[in-house]
Amino acid sequence: MGSDAPKWASEPCIMGIDEAGRGPVLGPMVYGCLYCAASYQKTLPSLNFADSKTLKEEKREEIFESLKSDGSIGWAVDVIDPKELSAKMLKKNKINLNEISHDSAIGLVARVLGMGVLLTEVYVDTVGDAEKYNIKLSERFPGVKFIVSKKADSLYPVVSGASIVAKVTRDRALHDWVLEETVENMHRNFGSGYPGDPETKAWLKHHTHSIFGFPTLVRFSWGTCSPYFKDMVEVLWESDKLGEEESSSCGKRQLKLSSLGFTGCKRRSEEVESSSKGRCMFFQSRKLEQMTHF
Amino acid sequence: MEREGGSSDGFQNGILGNIDLRPRESVLDLTGQIHHLPCCIKHDGPSSVSHYFKPKKTGIEVEVLTIEEACFRGRKLQGTTISLPDGYSGLVLGKKKNPGKRKASEISEANLNCWEIGAKFQSITYWNHDSLPSQDDTFLRCFHWFAVANALHKPITDDDLASYISSSKVKLMGE
Repeated sequence: MGSDAPKWASEPCIMGIDEAGRGPVLGPMVYGCLYCAASYQKTLPSLNFADSKTLKEEKREEIFESLKSDGSIGWAVDVIDPKELSAKMLKKNKINLNEISHDSAIGLVARVLGMGVLLTEVYVDTVGDAEKYNIKLSERFPGVKFIVSKKADSLYPVVSGASIVAKVTRDRALHDWVLEETVENMHRNFGSGYPGDPETKAWLKHHTHSIFGFPTLVRFSWGTCSPYFKDMVEVLWESDKLGEEESSSCGKRQLKLSSLGFTGCKRRSEEVESSSKGRCMFFQSRKLEQMTHF
Repeated sequence: MEREGGSSDGFQNGILGNIDLRPRESVLDLTGQIHHLPCCIKHDGPSSVSHYFKPKKTGIEVEVLTIEEACFRGRKLQGTTISLPDGYSGLVLGKKKNPGKRKASEISEANLNCWEIGAKFQSITYWNHDSLPSQDDTFLRCFHWFAVANALHKPITDDDLASYISSSKVKLMGE
């Protein structure tokens, strides 16, 4: 998604990057960028960009349509699926949201440069520590000057523009979302997706499943989900247990597991592992064991 | 299943029980629907699996294994479907619900611990969390046992014996 490199792209260009949907417990997170020739910069304020959050939805849509038809402006988006957010944040080696955000912004810069746009200055709303983020970006793209700051979306029109691109894309993605799950009684009144939104809360509550948790629209890694998990069937992962071992609180839980006869997991427990003494190496290394109880 | 902690008797003899492997009319074929997940789900019972669990082919192949992708509770899973070798079947056993009326004297552990086939399957999909399936996975390496079991337990035929004898003769003559 986005536009191809126009003629003015060989002039020195500026770009703004902003995100939408970082906080919500459901739906995609969208990174958007907007770029134009540095010489066009002074025209930007006349387009009435403002931080997307301060604008009404219709106004944002209207501005998005007008900037799409503006030949002096280019834009691109990176839509990160909630499934991908959950998966990355719940990997064995967890990737946190800041890292995912940084990677997405880096991806946009690389994509726009790759299109042949001569970026000289890039304005970014900060994620985490601004200075560290700036170093990370500058090291990756030595030819580009990065301006990383808090509230960049209200300070720089080019970032305000990017925030509109991101916000409108996120809203449309959520509006048109097709639930992957084929269960009856599901509906699409998600609300805003923000954890505090009563509509979102009601939707979450209505869409819990004791085994599967939630539809994949939901970001399972969000703290907002934790209270719901308490009422669901417990699921234990090897990767979680490794983490627990580090904090040395695993003993009890594993004992409980092995007494319940969950074979896949009980082998993790040292106590059971040691009972394989005398078992041939061939069987040990394949985790094969003669069953006398079932 | 019950055994007193101190008694070593039950452990040595195993638990008495029997499995009825006779084919029954109501045996379901679950081929293509058996999934082995890298986690413990503390639940035993039916669930609307196909409505939530949607494996997809990735088009990736690793060491002749066709890789599929799915997710469960937010985790990304990578898996592969393997056929069970010829001559082998996967069985889902269930406890016999009604072992029939018996005299009190006949009620023993063995009679109460009766199992029968509930379903069969000829393939199984196993899933890894965050790592591509590979021939080094313990799960696949378990299949090595079939070859070893054959070598150890397969009855020796007259032909086997004849060819063994002739080959050792050749060896002797060679020496």
